[in-house]
Amino acid sequence: MKRTTRKAGSNASWKVPAPGQIRVYVWEWPVRFSHWVMVITIISLSITGYYMHAPYVAAGGRTAYVMGTMRFVHIVSGFAFMLAILIRMYWFFFANRWSRWNQYIPTTKKRMANLVAVGKYYGFMAWSPVRYIGHNPMAGAAYAVVYAMAIVEIITGLALYSQILGSKTLSFFVGWIPHFIDIQWLREIHFLIMFGFWMFFIHHIYTAILVSVEEENGLMDSIFSGYKFVPKQELLRDPAVEEQQPDVETVQAVSVEEEESHTAV
Amino acid sequence: MNALPELDLRSALEARGISRRQFVKFCSTMVATLALPPRYLGAVVKALDQRTRPVLVWLEFQDCAGNSESMLRSGHPTVGDFVLELFSWEYHELLMAGAGKRAEETLERVLSEHKGEYIAVIEGAIPTADGGVHCTIGGKTALDIAQRVCSNAAVNIAVGACAWDGGIVSAGPNPTEAVGLEKAVPGIKNLVNLGGCPHNPANTAAVLVHYLTFHEMPALDQYNRPLFAYGNIIHDQCERRAHYDAGRYVEEWGDEGSRKGWCLYKMGCKGPEATYNCPTVRWNEGTSWPVKSGHGCIACASPRFWDTKSPFYDRLPKVPGFGVDVKASEIGWVATGAVGVAMVAQVVGNIVRDNIRPKHEPAAENKPSDAGGGPQA
Repeated sequence: MKRTTRKAGSNASWKVPAPGQIRVYVWEWPVRFSHWVMVITIISLSITGYYMHAPYVAAGGRTAYVMGTMRFVHIVSGFAFMLAILIRMYWFFFANRWSRWNQYIPTTKKRMANLVAVGKYYGFMAWSPVRYIGHNPMAGAAYAVVYAMAIVEIITGLALYSQILGSKTLSFFVGWIPHFIDIQWLREIHFLIMFGFWMFFIHHIYTAILVSVEEENGLMDSIFSGYKFVPKQELLRDPAVEEQQPDVETVQAVSVEEEESHTAV
Repeated sequence: MNALPELDLRSALEARGISRRQFVKFCSTMVATLALPPRYLGAVVKALDQRTRPVLVWLEFQDCAGNSESMLRSGHPTVGDFVLELFSWEYHELLMAGAGKRAEETLERVLSEHKGEYIAVIEGAIPTADGGVHCTIGGKTALDIAQRVCSNAAVNIAVGACAWDGGIVSAGPNPTEAVGLEKAVPGIKNLVNLGGCPHNPANTAAVLVHYLTFHEMPALDQYNRPLFAYGNIIHDQCERRAHYDAGRYVEEWGDEGSRKGWCLYKMGCKGPEATYNCPTVRWNEGTSWPVKSGHGCIACASPRFWDTKSPFYDRLPKVPGFGVDVKASEIGWVATGAVGVAMVAQVVGNIVRDNIRPKHEPAAENKPSDAGGGPQA
C-alpha cells in the first residue's frame, strides 16, 4: 500500500485537499458528538458494569465506598449513553445522506448487492474494497446491530434500575418486563451484550484503520473534524445516492451548489 | 359433627393461657408488620376483640407441609397460637383429629353452611396433567377441590411458593404440570399470594388481621402479594449492605470475610433481585434470617425462583446450550477473544493480499488522479 504524503503542521496542510480531491463535510456534529459520548460511556459502563458483576478490586480502609462509586458512575454513564443514542436516533431522520437511517438498514437491492461485495473483500475474495464516502453497506448493517444492542441494553438497564429505584413513572414503562422475562435473565442479557460491544469495539478499530489506510481519504480524521477527502468523481457518483434510486442508471448526484459547498475550505 | 362452642377471641385466648398483655403485644406486632402507624393499634385490638371467629379451612395439595410447620413452630406465645385462636379452624389436614369420611364431611359442611363467608388458605401446588390425577384427596382431584372451595370463599390466601406459582413442584421439568392457585382457578376473587419457601407466618397473620380489622385486603402488588411484605428489595434492608457498598465481599465459605460478616454478593446472594421483608420480620421470634446466619438469599419469595434464581451460588443463570460448568462471563471472554484473533488474522491476510496483488488490480477503485502525490507543506 502507498503512504500519503500529506502532512499535518502549523499551516494545517491537512485541511487542503490534494489535487483531484475535494473536502466533504460527511459527519455532522450530532453524529460526532453522540459517537464520542458513546465511546466514553461504553468504556466507563464496561469498567463499572464488570465490577458490579464480579467485584475485582479489593476495598481497603474503613471508609471505602468502591461498589457505591461504581454503581453511581454506571448509572450516570447509562443515562448519558441513553441520551447519546436518543440524539443519534433522532438524527437518523434529519441527517445528511451519509448518516440517514437507510445507510444502516439496507432497503434496496443495489445496496444489498454492494453489501455482498464488501463481504467478499473482507473474505479475501476481492482485491479491492468498495469505496464509499459514508458507511459501506456492511459497516452500516453492523452499526444497525450495535444500535439494536444498545436499545436492548438501555431497556434491560432501565428495568433493572426501576427495581431498585421503586419509581412509579419508570415502572410504568419498564416494570412489566420482569413479568415476562425474569429479572435474572434481564441481568444476564444486560451482561452478555456488554461482550457484544467489546467484540464490536475490536472490529471497529481494526476496520477504521484498515479502510483509512486502503482508501486514503482521511477516515480517521473525519470522526474528529467531520471532513473526508474524496476524489471529485466519487462525490459525483455517490453510491449513497445511486443505491437509493435503483431505476436510474447514472445519476448526477451532486448539484453545483453542493459541490461548491464541499470544496470550500 | 359438632361445631366448636362459639367462643370470642378473648375467652379463647384466656383458655389457652395467653394474657391480655401478650394479646396487645401481638396486636402491636401485627400493626408494625403491616407498616401501619401506631395509632391503628386501638382499632386492631378492638376489631379482634369483638369478632366472632370466622371459619377457616386450610387445604394442602402438592406440598411438604412446610408452611403449616412454619406457622406452628414460630415460638411462644406464637403467632401461630393467635392465628389458631382467631379463627375457627374447621379443616386442616395436618392438624385435624378427624380423618377419612368424617373429615371430608366437615369440609362439605363448611361449604354448604358458610358459603361465601369462610377463609380458604391454600398450601401446595395443583397438578393439571392427566386431568389432575397426580394429587387426589378423598377421590377428588386437587384441581376440583380448589375450584370448588376457592370460588366460594370470602378470601383466598395462597401461602408458600407452591401455592403462589407452583414452587418446586412446577420447577423444570414439571412432570405433573403443576401450577399455582391463581392459574388453577382462573378468575379467582379476593386472592392474596404469600410467596416464600416457606411463607413467613407473621405476614400471613398480618394479612388475616388486616382483613378482620378493615374488612379488606392490604395493598397488593402486580403478583397479588401484599406490598408491606413484598414491596422492598431484601438488599436494601440487609444488615450486610454497608459491606456491599464499601466493596468487602466473602470470597469463599469460611474465609476472613465470611467470619467478619461481609457481603455475600460474590457467593451468589440473590438479595439484590429479591423482594421480601425477611430482614426485618425475620424468623423464630425475630432471631435471625438466612443472610444474617451467613448464607446468601435464594430469593425464595420471587416468581418461579427454582428456575429463575438458580444456580443459587452464582450471580447469573447458566446460558442455555452450554455446559453446566460454563459461566456467562467465560462465554463472553472467549467470544471477545475469538474476535480479536479473527482481526489479527485479517491483518495478516491484508498484508498478504497487498503483496500478491497483480499489477492490473488497483488497490482501490476511483483513486484520485494523482494518488499519492499530495501537496507538499
